[in-house]
Amino acid sequence: MAAPDGPILIVGAGGIGAPAALALGHAGVRRLCIVDDDRVELGNLHRQILFDEGDVGTDKLASLRRALVRRFPALEVALRPGRALPDTALELCEGAAVVIDATDNFASRFLLADAAHLVGVPIVHAAAVRWQATVLAVAAAGRPCYRCLFEDVPGGVLVDCATAGVAGPVCGVSGALAAERALDLCLGRAPGTILTYDGERDRLREVPVAPRRDCPLCGAQPTIGSLDAARYMPPACEASY
Amino acid sequence: MAVTVRIPTPLRPLTGGKDEVSASGTTVLEVIEDVDKRHPGVRDRLLDGGKVRRFVNIFVGPEDIRFLDGPATVVKDGAELSILPAIAGGSAGH
Repeated sequence: MAAPDGPILIVGAGGIGAPAALALGHAGVRRLCIVDDDRVELGNLHRQILFDEGDVGTDKLASLRRALVRRFPALEVALRPGRALPDTALELCEGAAVVIDATDNFASRFLLADAAHLVGVPIVHAAAVRWQATVLAVAAAGRPCYRCLFEDVPGGVLVDCATAGVAGPVCGVSGALAAERALDLCLGRAPGTILTYDGERDRLREVPVAPRRDCPLCGAQPTIGSLDAARYMPPACEASY
Repeated sequence: MAVTVRIPTPLRPLTGGKDEVSASGTTVLEVIEDVDKRHPGVRDRLLDGGKVRRFVNIFVGPEDIRFLDGPATVVKDGAELSILPAIAGGSAGH
Protein backbone atom coordinates (compact mmCIF):
# COMPACT_ATOMS: atom_id res chain seq x y z
CA MET A 1 0.00 0.00 0.00
CA ALA A 2 1.26 3.48 -0.80
CA ALA A 3 2.09 5.50 2.31
CA PRO A 4 -0.37 8.34 2.91
CA ASP A 5 1.06 11.83 2.56
CA GLY A 6 0.17 13.14 5.99
CA PRO A 7 0.16 11.37 9.34
CA ILE A 8 -2.80 9.44 10.58
CA LEU A 9 -4.15 11.56 13.42
CA ILE A 10 -5.43 9.61 16.42
CA VAL A 11 -7.42 11.72 18.86
CA GLY A 12 -7.52 9.85 22.16
CA ALA A 13 -4.73 7.52 23.27
CA GLY A 14 -6.97 5.25 25.32
CA GLY A 15 -8.80 1.99 24.87
CA ILE A 16 -9.42 2.48 21.16
CA GLY A 17 -6.56 4.78 20.19
CA ALA A 18 -3.87 2.45 21.55
CA PRO A 19 -4.96 -0.73 19.74
CA ALA A 20 -5.62 1.33 16.59
CA ALA A 21 -2.05 2.66 16.75
CA LEU A 22 -0.72 -0.85 17.26
CA ALA A 23 -2.65 -2.17 14.26
CA LEU A 24 -1.50 0.72 12.08
CA GLY A 25 2.11 0.14 13.14
CA HIS A 26 1.83 -3.50 12.14
CA ALA A 27 0.26 -2.43 8.84
CA GLY A 28 3.36 -0.45 7.99
CA VAL A 29 2.04 3.06 8.44
CA ARG A 30 4.99 5.42 8.75
CA ARG A 31 3.55 8.47 10.51
CA LEU A 32 1.13 8.89 13.37
CA CYS A 33 0.15 11.98 15.29
CA ILE A 34 -1.55 11.33 18.61
CA VAL A 35 -3.56 13.74 20.75
CA ASP A 36 -4.30 13.23 24.43
CA ASP A 37 -4.04 15.04 27.77
CA ASP A 38 -4.25 12.19 30.22
CA ARG A 39 -2.04 10.06 32.43
CA VAL A 40 -2.03 6.29 32.62
CA GLU A 41 -4.17 4.88 35.43
CA LEU A 42 -4.24 1.37 36.83
CA GLY A 43 -7.87 1.01 35.74
CA ASN A 44 -6.86 1.65 32.12
CA LEU A 45 -4.61 -1.36 31.75
CA HIS A 46 -7.23 -3.97 30.89
CA ARG A 47 -8.04 -2.15 27.65
CA GLN A 48 -5.14 0.17 26.93
CA ILE A 49 -2.92 -2.67 25.92
CA LEU A 50 0.32 -0.87 25.19
CA PHE A 51 0.69 0.23 28.81
CA ASP A 52 1.77 -1.82 31.80
CA GLU A 53 1.97 -1.26 35.54
CA GLY A 54 5.27 0.56 35.18
CA ASP A 55 3.49 3.23 33.13
CA VAL A 56 0.88 4.06 35.78
CA GLY A 57 1.04 7.75 36.60
CA THR A 58 3.09 8.63 33.54
CA ASP A 59 2.08 10.82 30.65
CA LYS A 60 -0.03 8.70 28.33
CA LEU A 61 1.37 10.17 25.13
CA ALA A 62 5.00 9.65 26.08
CA SER A 63 4.36 6.10 27.25
CA LEU A 64 2.44 5.28 24.10
CA ARG A 65 5.15 6.62 21.84
CA ARG A 66 7.76 4.64 23.77
CA ALA A 67 5.73 1.45 23.37
CA LEU A 68 5.14 2.02 19.67
CA VAL A 69 8.70 2.95 18.75
CA ARG A 70 10.01 -0.08 20.63
CA ARG A 71 7.92 -2.26 18.32
CA PHE A 72 8.24 -0.18 15.15
CA PRO A 73 11.56 1.71 15.12
CA ALA A 74 10.82 3.34 11.76
CA LEU A 75 7.46 4.68 12.89
CA GLU A 76 7.37 8.44 13.34
CA VAL A 77 5.07 9.35 16.24
CA ALA A 78 4.29 13.02 16.74
CA LEU A 79 2.63 13.97 20.01
CA ARG A 80 0.08 16.73 20.58
CA PRO A 81 -0.58 17.11 24.31
CA GLY A 82 -4.04 18.48 25.05
CA ARG A 83 -7.52 18.00 23.72
CA ALA A 84 -9.22 18.72 20.45
CA LEU A 85 -11.11 21.94 21.14
CA PRO A 86 -13.07 24.32 18.94
CA ASP A 87 -10.03 26.60 18.63
CA THR A 88 -7.56 23.80 17.86
CA ALA A 89 -9.50 21.11 15.99
CA LEU A 90 -9.16 22.55 12.50
CA GLU A 91 -5.42 22.94 12.83
CA LEU A 92 -5.10 19.43 14.26
CA CYS A 93 -7.01 17.86 11.39
CA GLU A 94 -5.45 19.95 8.62
CA GLY A 95 -2.93 17.90 6.66
CA ALA A 96 -3.79 14.56 8.22
CA ALA A 97 -4.21 11.60 5.89
CA VAL A 98 -7.07 10.37 8.07
CA VAL A 99 -8.40 11.30 11.49
CA ILE A 100 -9.31 8.53 13.94
CA ASP A 101 -11.80 9.80 16.50
CA ALA A 102 -11.12 7.67 19.58
CA THR A 103 -12.51 10.12 22.09
CA ASP A 104 -14.90 9.36 24.92
CA ASN A 105 -17.52 12.09 24.71
CA PHE A 106 -20.05 13.32 22.20
CA ALA A 107 -18.89 16.91 22.14
CA SER A 108 -15.46 15.82 20.89
CA ARG A 109 -17.01 13.44 18.37
CA PHE A 110 -19.20 16.12 16.79
CA LEU A 111 -16.36 18.62 16.93
CA LEU A 112 -14.01 16.28 15.08
CA ALA A 113 -16.71 15.35 12.57
CA ASP A 114 -17.19 19.02 11.77
CA ALA A 115 -13.48 19.86 11.74
CA ALA A 116 -12.53 16.96 9.48
CA HIS A 117 -15.34 17.80 7.07
CA LEU A 118 -14.44 21.49 6.95
CA VAL A 119 -10.78 20.82 6.14
CA GLY A 120 -11.61 17.97 3.76
CA VAL A 121 -9.96 15.12 5.64
CA PRO A 122 -11.49 11.65 5.98
CA ILE A 123 -12.40 10.49 9.48
CA VAL A 124 -13.17 7.28 11.32
CA HIS A 125 -15.37 7.51 14.40
CA ALA A 126 -14.76 4.55 16.71
CA ALA A 127 -16.55 4.04 20.01
CA ALA A 128 -17.02 1.32 22.60
CA VAL A 129 -18.99 1.00 25.79
CA ARG A 130 -19.88 -2.08 27.82
CA TRP A 131 -19.98 -4.87 25.19
CA GLN A 132 -20.80 -2.76 22.15
CA ALA A 133 -18.57 -1.05 19.62
CA THR A 134 -19.39 1.06 16.58
CA VAL A 135 -17.12 2.26 13.78
CA LEU A 136 -18.13 4.73 11.07
CA ALA A 137 -15.78 5.78 8.26
CA VAL A 138 -16.45 9.03 6.39
CA ALA A 139 -14.62 10.03 3.20
CA ALA A 140 -12.98 13.45 2.80
CA ALA A 141 -15.83 15.98 2.96
CA GLY A 142 -17.96 12.95 2.23
CA ARG A 143 -21.39 11.65 2.86
CA PRO A 144 -22.92 10.14 4.94
CA CYS A 145 -21.24 11.81 7.90
CA TYR A 146 -21.52 11.41 11.66
CA ARG A 147 -24.22 14.09 11.77
CA CYS A 148 -26.28 12.23 9.17
CA LEU A 149 -26.54 9.43 11.69
CA PHE A 150 -26.61 11.09 15.11
CA GLU A 151 -27.60 14.69 14.27
CA ASP A 152 -26.30 16.67 17.25
CA VAL A 153 -24.70 16.53 20.67
CA PRO A 154 -27.12 14.69 22.95
CA GLY A 155 -27.95 15.90 26.42
CA GLY A 156 -28.93 13.99 29.52
CA VAL A 157 -26.86 11.27 31.12
CA LEU A 158 -25.41 9.07 28.46
CA VAL A 159 -23.25 6.09 29.14
CA ASP A 160 -19.52 6.16 28.56
CA CYS A 161 -16.60 4.00 29.64
CA ALA A 162 -16.16 5.93 32.86
CA THR A 163 -19.76 5.48 33.98
CA ALA A 164 -20.77 2.18 32.41
CA GLY A 165 -17.46 0.40 31.98
CA VAL A 166 -16.25 -1.34 28.88
CA ALA A 167 -14.94 -4.81 28.14
CA GLY A 168 -11.27 -4.56 27.21
CA PRO A 169 -11.47 -6.86 24.19
CA VAL A 170 -14.36 -4.82 22.78
CA CYS A 171 -12.09 -1.78 22.78
CA GLY A 172 -9.49 -3.87 20.98
CA VAL A 173 -11.99 -4.86 18.31
CA SER A 174 -13.09 -1.25 17.90
CA GLY A 175 -9.49 -0.07 17.59
CA ALA A 176 -8.61 -2.77 15.07
CA LEU A 177 -11.70 -1.99 12.99
CA ALA A 178 -10.89 1.71 13.15
CA ALA A 179 -7.40 1.02 11.85
CA GLU A 180 -8.76 -1.13 9.06
CA ARG A 181 -11.27 1.53 8.05
CA ALA A 182 -8.55 4.21 8.21
CA LEU A 183 -6.47 2.19 5.77
CA ASP A 184 -9.54 1.79 3.57
CA LEU A 185 -9.95 5.55 3.53
CA CYS A 186 -6.28 5.98 2.59
CA LEU A 187 -7.04 3.79 -0.41
CA GLY A 188 -10.08 5.87 -1.30
CA ARG A 189 -12.62 3.35 -0.07
CA ALA A 190 -15.52 4.60 2.04
CA PRO A 191 -18.27 2.02 2.19
CA GLY A 192 -21.02 4.25 3.65
CA THR A 193 -21.77 1.79 6.40
CA ILE A 194 -21.42 1.64 10.15
CA LEU A 195 -19.90 -1.43 11.74
CA THR A 196 -21.42 -2.60 15.00
CA TYR A 197 -19.86 -5.24 17.20
CA ASP A 198 -21.73 -6.99 20.00
CA GLY A 199 -19.15 -8.53 22.28
CA GLU A 200 -21.75 -10.40 24.33
CA ARG A 201 -22.93 -12.33 21.29
CA ASP A 202 -19.81 -12.04 19.13
CA ARG A 203 -21.78 -10.49 16.30
CA LEU A 204 -20.27 -8.11 13.79
CA ARG A 205 -22.78 -6.33 11.58
CA GLU A 206 -22.36 -3.82 8.79
CA VAL A 207 -25.33 -1.48 8.55
CA PRO A 208 -25.87 0.84 5.55
CA VAL A 209 -26.08 4.52 6.42
CA ALA A 210 -27.92 6.93 4.16
CA PRO A 211 -26.88 10.57 3.76
CA ARG A 212 -29.39 12.95 5.28
CA ARG A 213 -30.56 15.55 2.79
CA ASP A 214 -30.94 18.25 5.44
CA CYS A 215 -27.72 17.38 7.27
CA PRO A 216 -26.27 20.68 8.54
CA LEU A 217 -22.73 19.50 7.78
CA CYS A 218 -22.86 17.60 4.49
CA GLY A 219 -26.40 18.25 3.24
CA ALA A 220 -27.59 20.28 0.28
CA GLN A 221 -27.58 23.53 2.27
CA PRO A 222 -25.00 23.14 5.01
CA THR A 223 -25.14 25.55 7.93
CA ILE A 224 -21.95 24.52 9.70
CA GLY A 225 -19.09 26.51 8.25
CA SER A 226 -16.98 27.07 11.35
CA LEU A 227 -16.41 25.61 14.81
CA ASP A 228 -18.57 27.61 17.18
CA ALA A 229 -17.94 26.41 20.76
CA ALA A 230 -21.61 26.82 21.67
CA ARG A 231 -22.51 24.15 19.14
CA TYR A 232 -20.73 21.50 21.19
CA MET A 233 -22.55 22.18 24.43
CA PRO A 234 -25.18 19.52 25.16
CA PRO A 235 -28.77 20.71 25.53
CA ALA A 236 -29.82 21.21 29.12
CA CYS A 237 -32.61 18.68 29.11
CA GLU A 238 -32.83 15.39 27.33
CA ALA A 239 -33.63 11.92 28.54
CA SER A 240 -30.92 9.66 29.82
CA TYR A 241 -29.78 6.73 27.76
CA MET B 1 -47.49 -8.93 12.63
CA ALA B 2 -44.67 -10.72 14.45
CA VAL B 3 -41.43 -8.76 14.46
CA THR B 4 -38.02 -9.48 15.93
CA VAL B 5 -36.48 -6.54 17.78
CA ARG B 6 -32.72 -6.59 18.28
CA ILE B 7 -31.81 -4.96 21.55
CA PRO B 8 -28.46 -3.12 21.88
CA THR B 9 -26.40 -3.64 25.01
CA PRO B 10 -27.34 -0.31 26.66
CA LEU B 11 -31.03 -1.35 26.64
CA ARG B 12 -30.57 -4.92 27.79
CA PRO B 13 -30.99 -4.08 31.47
CA LEU B 14 -34.60 -3.29 30.50
CA THR B 15 -35.13 -6.62 28.71
CA GLY B 16 -33.64 -8.84 31.35
CA GLY B 17 -30.44 -9.20 29.36
CA LYS B 18 -32.17 -10.43 26.19
CA ASP B 19 -30.50 -9.35 22.98
CA GLU B 20 -33.65 -9.82 20.95
CA VAL B 21 -37.33 -9.92 21.76
CA SER B 22 -40.44 -10.69 19.76
CA ALA B 23 -43.15 -8.10 19.41
CA SER B 24 -46.20 -7.39 17.32
CA GLY B 25 -47.46 -4.34 15.49
CA THR B 26 -48.01 -2.99 12.02
CA THR B 27 -45.80 0.06 12.44
CA VAL B 28 -42.52 0.75 14.22
CA LEU B 29 -44.39 2.75 16.86
CA GLU B 30 -46.77 -0.11 17.56
CA VAL B 31 -43.88 -2.53 17.82
CA ILE B 32 -42.04 -0.28 20.27
CA GLU B 33 -45.16 0.15 22.37
CA ASP B 34 -45.67 -3.59 22.41
CA VAL B 35 -42.10 -4.12 23.62
CA ASP B 36 -42.66 -1.43 26.24
CA LYS B 37 -45.65 -3.30 27.67
CA ARG B 38 -43.40 -6.19 28.65
CA HIS B 39 -40.22 -4.18 29.16
CA PRO B 40 -41.24 -0.82 30.58
CA GLY B 41 -38.91 2.04 29.84
CA VAL B 42 -37.92 1.00 26.34
CA ARG B 43 -40.28 3.48 24.69
CA ASP B 44 -38.90 6.46 26.62
CA ARG B 45 -35.36 5.50 25.74
CA LEU B 46 -36.18 5.47 22.04
CA LEU B 47 -38.83 8.09 21.54
CA ASP B 48 -39.29 11.70 22.56
CA GLY B 49 -43.00 12.20 22.29
CA GLY B 50 -43.76 10.77 18.89
CA LYS B 51 -40.29 11.23 17.41
CA VAL B 52 -37.21 9.03 17.50
CA ARG B 53 -34.59 10.54 19.76
CA ARG B 54 -31.86 12.17 17.73
CA PHE B 55 -29.06 10.01 19.15
CA VAL B 56 -30.92 6.81 18.31
CA ASN B 57 -31.31 5.16 14.93
CA ILE B 58 -33.89 2.50 14.22
CA PHE B 59 -33.65 0.24 11.21
CA VAL B 60 -36.25 -2.01 9.67
CA GLY B 61 -34.08 -4.59 7.97
CA PRO B 62 -31.32 -2.46 6.40
CA GLU B 63 -33.48 0.68 6.12
CA ASP B 64 -33.16 3.62 8.52
CA ILE B 65 -36.70 4.65 9.41
CA ARG B 66 -35.56 8.28 9.37
CA PHE B 67 -35.64 7.97 5.59
CA LEU B 68 -38.94 6.11 5.53
CA ASP B 69 -41.90 7.26 7.60
CA GLY B 70 -40.24 7.48 11.00
CA PRO B 71 -42.20 5.72 13.76
CA ALA B 72 -45.11 5.38 11.34
CA THR B 73 -43.01 3.16 9.08
CA VAL B 74 -44.93 0.02 8.23
CA VAL B 75 -43.38 -3.29 9.24
CA LYS B 76 -44.15 -6.59 7.62
CA ASP B 77 -44.61 -9.92 9.26
CA GLY B 78 -41.22 -11.44 10.04
CA ALA B 79 -39.37 -8.12 9.84
CA GLU B 80 -36.32 -7.41 11.96
CA LEU B 81 -36.08 -4.11 13.79
CA SER B 82 -32.61 -2.99 14.92
CA ILE B 83 -31.75 -0.19 17.32
CA LEU B 84 -28.48 1.68 17.03
CA PRO B 85 -27.79 4.23 19.76
CA ALA B 86 -24.89 6.67 19.66
CA ILE B 87 -22.11 5.60 22.01
CA ALA B 88 -19.13 7.67 22.98
CA GLY B 89 -16.64 5.65 25.00
CA GLY B 90 -13.10 5.35 23.79
CA SER B 91 -10.49 7.26 25.72
CA ALA B 92 -11.09 7.78 29.41
CA GLY B 93 -10.47 11.36 30.34
CA HIS B 94 -10.40 12.72 26.82
